[in-house]
Amino acid sequence: MRAHRWFTPYLLVLPAMALFAFAILGPVLATGVFSFYEWDGFGAFTSVGIDNYLRAFSDPVFRASFVHVAIYILLTIVLEVGAGLLLAGMVTSRPRGTGFFRVAFFIPVMLPLVVVAVVWGFVYNPDFGLINGVLEAVGLGTLANVWLGDTRTALISVSIVSGWVFAGFFMAIFYAAINQIPTEIVEAARIDGASEIQTFWRVKVPMIRNVIEIAILLAVTGGFQSFDLFFVLTNGGPYGATEIPTTYLVKVVFRNQNVGYGSAMAMIMTATVLAMGAVYLWVRKRADVDGGTA
Amino acid sequence: MQIASLKRDGARRFGVVAGVLVLALALVAGACSSSDGESSTDPDAPVTLRVAMGSPGEAQIEVWEATAASFEASNPNVTVEFNFQDDDLYETIGLPNLLNGGDAPDVYFEWAGQRLQDRYDEGFVADITDAVQNGELGTYFEEGAYNGMVIDGKNVMVPANADVTTVMWYNVDIFNDLGISVPTTWDEMIAASEIIKAAGVIPIGIGNKDLWPVGNWTSHILSRAMGEETYDQMLKQEIPMDSPEIVAAMEYVVELQQSGTVNESVNAIDDNEGAELFFQGKAAMHPIGSWLVSWAIESAPDLNFDYFNLPPLEGAGTQDSVIAVSTGFIVNAESSHQDVAIDFLTLFSSPEFTSQMVDAGGTPLATGALDRDDIDPRILSLMEMMQTAGALVAPPDTGYDIEVADALYAAEAEVLGGVSTPEEALATAQAKIGG
Repeated sequence: MRAHRWFTPYLLVLPAMALFAFAILGPVLATGVFSFYEWDGFGAFTSVGIDNYLRAFSDPVFRASFVHVAIYILLTIVLEVGAGLLLAGMVTSRPRGTGFFRVAFFIPVMLPLVVVAVVWGFVYNPDFGLINGVLEAVGLGTLANVWLGDTRTALISVSIVSGWVFAGFFMAIFYAAINQIPTEIVEAARIDGASEIQTFWRVKVPMIRNVIEIAILLAVTGGFQSFDLFFVLTNGGPYGATEIPTTYLVKVVFRNQNVGYGSAMAMIMTATVLAMGAVYLWVRKRADVDGGTA
Repeated sequence: MQIASLKRDGARRFGVVAGVLVLALALVAGACSSSDGESSTDPDAPVTLRVAMGSPGEAQIEVWEATAASFEASNPNVTVEFNFQDDDLYETIGLPNLLNGGDAPDVYFEWAGQRLQDRYDEGFVADITDAVQNGELGTYFEEGAYNGMVIDGKNVMVPANADVTTVMWYNVDIFNDLGISVPTTWDEMIAASEIIKAAGVIPIGIGNKDLWPVGNWTSHILSRAMGEETYDQMLKQEIPMDSPEIVAAMEYVVELQQSGTVNESVNAIDDNEGAELFFQGKAAMHPIGSWLVSWAIESAPDLNFDYFNLPPLEGAGTQDSVIAVSTGFIVNAESSHQDVAIDFLTLFSSPEFTSQMVDAGGTPLATGALDRDDIDPRILSLMEMMQTAGALVAPPDTGYDIEVADALYAAEAEVLGGVSTPEEALATAQAKIGG
């Protein structure tokens, strides 16, 4: 049998590499280059060295945007991963009759986020909205609020919408993982007298720990990528209380037409997300080593 | 020996991978590049005239297409190609991409003021002075139509529309029911608001989630209070934004906040939701631009509404000033069909197509637009108000640097929302634009 030429494998991956270069490598490189220039998208480039990075690190709005996204991520870990886990526990507690609930919980995941945001914008609307309307109808009008216009409630309100959408997504992941647990282990727990709640927390959850860790990683990285809900529901307001890196970046690049500064912000965001991924892998590896040597 | 061989193999593999990546990038670059060699000295050579703008809506697109059909009939070698983009897309990423792309437009839409100046500085603006002063094009406009469209003594824009960006629209029925007359002073407006509020109606409803609706309105108030010159200096950063005269002017916004004149949801809802408050009769007044007329007629056909300009207040500015923005079309300095572009814009500005544009809901600056007796009287009144105003004030976000405008808008929103004092909000704004 005749040996392949040494470069044949590389030729075979060339189409994939071209796609990768077009969709990811090229834009990343271009963004990196832009970040060292002042450019409004129209005229000439002016080299500014690392000034855009220095500006980003000293920009109070950009710094605050990371605080906001961190709070949002913490809330979504509870409202998306936590709620998804609880939903998965409920729908796997009975072998039959849960199909309707699984579908119902998953439906929001299938809706475009912009549509979700518009719908929830009506729900939260302080003048015509559902929440205030119901509160007033049941005599609790004093609790009515400008949900998205109050700095104390705006970020939580957006996070609740996010939880409403993605809890179903994480439920589906956990549901699949729980169903992979060998039946005899669960049966053994039940024979030993464990209740459904005890079986869930002490048997099922520990056995899908790796999946939960991946879900948290997805929630963290997904949190950094959030944009649609914030853009439609609050556009960073009120008074910057829900400004996250992506909404601020879009304003800087597309409204202020400061492509260079926005590119520096994008590079910092990318580095942050990659660093978090790297930290996760490092922690995971350490845990595996510790677990292996224990 | 084995290690050296492994290193060689590693180096070779790295080289190959790098080569593949470079080749891939080259393929991509090759695929993305384009050539546009259409240029000829032959007057009958085929010409494609590219025209770009934010989408003006179906009705006005039909007028553009009718203009193109007429132009192509008279110039058989010319094909007019339109690029209508979503407004926001065009304003932000669309136009830069088009101007820097391989098929740059020969004619494109812009706002007069800072944006026009920027395009001029970047070399994308042709000098059309000769066509305006000596050609047919100039006969279709009054001298005042070119306000803000002359740079370094050169005509650089063909006027298209003029929009008053903020007047106070009011619900005539609510005013009549409560026995309120149209306010002629600031204090009368505040007093009228008290009566409206007592009747359980929001006096002034507006949605400011995107900051520009209140930004335009309150910036007009600031210009009236501190004078157009100080307003201009502030937005050109010739004086700090937290200067005492600006802080003092902002007290009018504080008065709006403290009197509860504006809807509590002001900074939580967008401009469409703000308009809904007005359309549904939940708010008696709504400060927004001239575009409300066609919108209200379509969305709230039973609404009985009219407008008044910002009432005079005690300040250094011109008390019958109007805040307005002009738009127009630029002939690209890099176009090789500039004469064809001017001829096309001349035809578009003629009474025939100007009249069609009025029918399509436009407010053209060409003289042909006023030779009509069937224009909505409110539109006609707005156009006349602009022409007789003591001063025209440019909105911060179209007349000046957008970052400065955004900083001011955020400060105005904070003061109107009652979360900051004028001193705090303006100091923050000044810090945002560089200390």
